[in-house]
Amino acid sequence: MMSTKLIKAILLIEDNPGDVRLLQEMFSDHGAHNTKLAHVDCMSAAEKYLAEGAVDIILLDPGLPDAQGLGSIRRAHAAAPGVPLVVLTCLDDETVAEQALQEGAQDYLIKGQIDVRGILRALRHATERKRLERLKDEFVSTVSHELRTPLTSITGSLGLLMGNAAGNLSDPVRRLVAIAHTNSQRLVRLVNDILDIEKMEAGQVAFNFSRVEVRPLVAQAIEANRGFAEGYGVRVRLEDADTAADVRADPDRLLQVITNLLSNAIKFSPAENEVVVAVEKGPDMVRLTVRDHGPGIPLDFRPLIFEKFAQADAGDARQKGGTGLGLSIVKQIVDRLGGEVGFADAPAGGTIFHVQLPCWDHVAGLAIDRDAKPGAPRLLLCEDDLDTALTLREQLRQVSFATDFAYSVGDALTRAAATQYHAILVDIHLPDGDGVSLIVRLREMPQYHDTPIVVVSGDTSRGRDDSRSSKLNVLDWLNKPVDFDRLVRLLAKPIVQKANRRPRILHVDEDNAVARALSDIGDVVTVNSIEEALLALKASDFDLAVLDVALVKGAGPELLPELRDSSGDLIPVVVFSADGAHLAADAQAQAALAKSHTSIDSLVATVRDRLASRPANVSKEVV
Amino acid sequence: MTDIRILLVDDEPDIREVVDVSLGLDREFATRACASGADALVTAAEWSPSLILLDVMMPLMDGPTTLANLRKNPRTAHIPVVFLTARTQASEVEQYISLGAQGVLSKPFDPMTLAASVRSYLPPVAASHAP
Repeated sequence: MMSTKLIKAILLIEDNPGDVRLLQEMFSDHGAHNTKLAHVDCMSAAEKYLAEGAVDIILLDPGLPDAQGLGSIRRAHAAAPGVPLVVLTCLDDETVAEQALQEGAQDYLIKGQIDVRGILRALRHATERKRLERLKDEFVSTVSHELRTPLTSITGSLGLLMGNAAGNLSDPVRRLVAIAHTNSQRLVRLVNDILDIEKMEAGQVAFNFSRVEVRPLVAQAIEANRGFAEGYGVRVRLEDADTAADVRADPDRLLQVITNLLSNAIKFSPAENEVVVAVEKGPDMVRLTVRDHGPGIPLDFRPLIFEKFAQADAGDARQKGGTGLGLSIVKQIVDRLGGEVGFADAPAGGTIFHVQLPCWDHVAGLAIDRDAKPGAPRLLLCEDDLDTALTLREQLRQVSFATDFAYSVGDALTRAAATQYHAILVDIHLPDGDGVSLIVRLREMPQYHDTPIVVVSGDTSRGRDDSRSSKLNVLDWLNKPVDFDRLVRLLAKPIVQKANRRPRILHVDEDNAVARALSDIGDVVTVNSIEEALLALKASDFDLAVLDVALVKGAGPELLPELRDSSGDLIPVVVFSADGAHLAADAQAQAALAKSHTSIDSLVATVRDRLASRPANVSKEVV
Repeated sequence: MTDIRILLVDDEPDIREVVDVSLGLDREFATRACASGADALVTAAEWSPSLILLDVMMPLMDGPTTLANLRKNPRTAHIPVVFLTARTQASEVEQYISLGAQGVLSKPFDPMTLAASVRSYLPPVAASHAP
């Protein structure tokens, strides 16, 4: 009998039925009765399962129909960051195993070489490892906060002494106080860096993206580091440029990137040297370079340079006053900004670090979905994370939606006013406001009064708890990562069905030949009088009316405003008569055809044409 | 000439002293310090400070609760409050501002410029006493 005290619920994510059966048999044969082995065969099902059920551990085969390799490991990790993860790999695939461990998996098992004892050993090991990782994170966060309190008193007191707030100091005293002061500040930087990196790794740092001009930010960083550079006898210069370079970034975080690169370059430059910063604008990316005249980066250190606590040699940290976290933070931030960081030897000695970030114009250009199928229903996605937005657009394209992006509340309102969207997806966290306020304002726009709106957010509870939310008629609140099937079901209901169902035509005429012809393109209700027409409109909705003004008693221009659907909106009308010309000017009359000059076929073609141009939208509009 | 009264609320005695000296660098500032939110409510009502510098993490009554209580009392409701805190993640700053704080200063702070930072949060009338 196996004892599985810790592990009660395992989620197996595996698409190979043979492997699933094998594992299920192993577990039941060995009497691991207290352990429940649930099974799903794709990542979207796993995400759904993890969102709802309590799972102690995940067993993942990374080769799935809807996610592969590292991507599936990342998605599983994102769906349940607190749940330990064991990856199933194939024989001789040590690279995948190694990458899996780096991406947050706690252990791996090799298929074909496992028995139930081995699995349980790996599961226990992974669970314990995860527990220790969590303890470490909590410990680091607590300690960092606790350290700040005494550090505030220490740096504060030393700062006052150095500023002569307690009287002038003699030279020997001043030298000693200066040492204490500098080192207390170094300790503050270290604590800040540790907190930053822990928060970033835990995904707790919210990025506020906006349009950022890079050069003023560089100038600000240079100014802030002037004293530091002078301490090393190093000059920092920003190269002139003609064009402004705008990127899409979080300005505070980008400033941190520039500051860290500058402070490294300054520390490793020999005295009387220059650090040169340049900002160049390319077609898609802005390239920021920081060139130093330092000793260069040793070859064996290069692969480790962006790792945490990495220092080229152990003495460096003490000598240079670094934390070994600066470049690791740079890498984490640049990744989140959708950019790239790297380095190369400078031609005449020293090192050039570069950061490439997406140009604002480029990102703004991506906002409109230009590759969608013509006629695809168009959605507006209000989301400030470009990677998330691009992924969702790609998925939505597979099911024939076009997706435009709005990166902020302001953006969203402008776009919504310019284009009629069929549905709107809103993230609660936006750089210039919250999603709920955005929805309030959208609902105030008459054309979006009834439009389907879905909230898609990392933390939907934040918006749901908002007292305004109950009145906003939000179709659903979806947590990230998005359960895509559910999203598509939601969007399909009001939009696609509306577009695909047979149109309903109200035919106000006595001509049966016309009614028969129209029934080829929709469901036709034929009535012979205006009274009947109005009754029919009360009873059900129609997409269009065909009206013969000559044959029907009482039909005239004054009738058109009466033709409304149940929500009171005017419906389009094709006027068909001996002489329809006098109605042609009316906005509601989509076409006025003179009977004597028009065949039934061309009438049907006209109606078909008008129906095709009606908006595929739940809210009816005057066209 | 009237002094600009600053009420400091922090449970750490050392920090109270350092802040007191730092604010003292501005000769127009008169500083009083309280060790708890409860003390602060009483002192604020009696002394009518121009601005309150408030710690966030304090036992019994934390900074945000103290702020809420200050706002409830008509005698203290109008006094600008600036948080002085070790917790200054962007989301936290946003939250403090939404609670009605005028600003957030982070710990550790630069003692030589603290008084100037505090002055920038003073309402125009009080700040006009600037030398």
